[in-house]
Amino acid sequence: MRARVLTGTLVALLIVPLLASAASAQNALVVSIWGGNWKDTVEKVVAKPFTAKTGIPVEFEVGGTIDRLAKARVAKGSPLVDLNFTTTHVARLYISDGLYEKLDMAKIPNSKEIAREAFRSEYHLGSWAYVYTVVYRPDLVKEEIAKWADLWNPALKGKIAMPDFDPSHIITIAALMEGGNEVNWQKGEGKLKQLKSSIAAFYSTDAQSQDLMKTGQAPVQVMLSVNAYHLQEQGIRVKVVQPRDYPGIVGIDTMAVMAGTKKADAALQFINLALSKEIQSELVKALRAGPVNTGASVPQSLAGQPGIFVTPAQWKERGYIMNDEVRAKNLPAWREWFTANIVKK
Amino acid sequence: MKFLLTPAVVVLAVFAAALGALFRWSLLEFIPGSLRPGGLTLANFRSVLAPQYLDTVWETVLLSAATTLLTLVLSYPVAYALARTPSRRARSALLVLTLAPFFTGAIVRTYAWVLVLGNAVVTWPLPMLFTERGVLVGLVHFSMPSMILVLAAALSHIDPAYERAAASLGARPARVFWRVTLPLSMPGIVSGGLIVFAWTLSAFATPELLGGGKVKMIANVVKDLGLDSFNWPGAAAFAMVALALTLALLAGLGRLTAGRAA
Repeated sequence: MRARVLTGTLVALLIVPLLASAASAQNALVVSIWGGNWKDTVEKVVAKPFTAKTGIPVEFEVGGTIDRLAKARVAKGSPLVDLNFTTTHVARLYISDGLYEKLDMAKIPNSKEIAREAFRSEYHLGSWAYVYTVVYRPDLVKEEIAKWADLWNPALKGKIAMPDFDPSHIITIAALMEGGNEVNWQKGEGKLKQLKSSIAAFYSTDAQSQDLMKTGQAPVQVMLSVNAYHLQEQGIRVKVVQPRDYPGIVGIDTMAVMAGTKKADAALQFINLALSKEIQSELVKALRAGPVNTGASVPQSLAGQPGIFVTPAQWKERGYIMNDEVRAKNLPAWREWFTANIVKK
Repeated sequence: MKFLLTPAVVVLAVFAAALGALFRWSLLEFIPGSLRPGGLTLANFRSVLAPQYLDTVWETVLLSAATTLLTLVLSYPVAYALARTPSRRARSALLVLTLAPFFTGAIVRTYAWVLVLGNAVVTWPLPMLFTERGVLVGLVHFSMPSMILVLAAALSHIDPAYERAAASLGARPARVFWRVTLPLSMPGIVSGGLIVFAWTLSAFATPELLGGGKVKMIANVVKDLGLDSFNWPGAAAFAMVALALTLALLAGLGRLTAGRAA
């Protein structure tokens, strides 16, 4: 008898949490996002207040940009996630494949408070912003770097690193320097070739970029401002340059509702909350990224820093925003040219 | 044994289906800025046969050959010691040292090499990190445990009586090695060589981390095309070309060494 009671209790102990977790998964809003600090921050700053307010639990599906895109494509029509975070130009790929649902702006009243630049399309809205700019370690680099053109200083030979997975930032800067832009980027080809001998390494992930900076193997980098602030928090003395000649290249991460989701209303509520002044103010503090809600408050230490735009004028003057569609379409050609002419020996 | 036939066919069918899907993607048109591929085309194959991609294939083959040779040369003495050391303790210690890298994981080991090759621990006379030399060091270190085990197994099957007979007939130790031990260990050399060569051809993590984006092998370029350029048809085409080349190379090497390994 005692054995039966024990067995029954054990089975109940095993099955009840499983059933509870299955029920929770059915009710939960599933959010797809990058892992690490991104997921932790959104969970803490947005998901918890969202659950407290609506009673809807939030679960996360984490992964790299392209892994998540591939999964979404496979699950087209009956998505495994309800809401997606990704970069604005990759969002264009989701849109091109019909993976996003058109946003019902009436259900996102806070969208009226966001910067014009964060309104990316009727399918996706910006959640925060940052810039790719020049970041360096003054303890290892004696020359002062104050503008993009300083990267071409021969004294920096063998000290620079930049991303090879997406060379669009440096390609656009080189084009801007030669009177072009991301559309007629070929104008900057010659300028960029002059930079080749200065490049110590190319990085494929944010983690690699930070390692190269920490170890001093590449003390000058074209780097994400968010990562630079993260290094500063870790005690690595890096200087984030507000370039005097051309602006930093703006990156905007965006939110969208997956087409075919049964929880579109909950997803819209989540987006609306994430765009509110209060949550945006918290996101700025936690991510050290720029808010998209122009009414959000920014800590004194971050105000005016690269990638932190608080006024329409700052959005316009201190950041260069590439055309998403042009970027999505040109990226393969840029990568091919960059690999053949800059990466290859 | 007939009951094993069905699961074997199922497993092979899954592999064949995956390969078939890859081949199908390689024939679809890539449309920049879109995830939807276009119609059937051979353009992807024409694109990946461009010089920059063929250079990558050539560099991969060279690096793989260099890795195989260097791994063989460095592993042989260790394998010999492992097979012939009379002391059980010494053999156990050698075995633990040989197997230890297996337990640390490829990424951890490679990150350790980033520090070692990057002048943080040792000051190198020549740049090592983000060069072919550095990648070669990482690949050899990664391959050595397997090569040592394969060689040690082959060496332990050689009857020491052959070597003693040669020595008793007046052959010096070096001659005994060249004329007796080395030829008799050829099956191990061929097997170990083929294993190391084959997996180095598909190496990814080591060149990715130690190459600093400057040294790219086939797998890195497939990843670049597929995951960074969103060019899945191009990535599939390059993977198919690389697979065909790898199979051809291995078949050629297998035929070349068939007589020696027998």
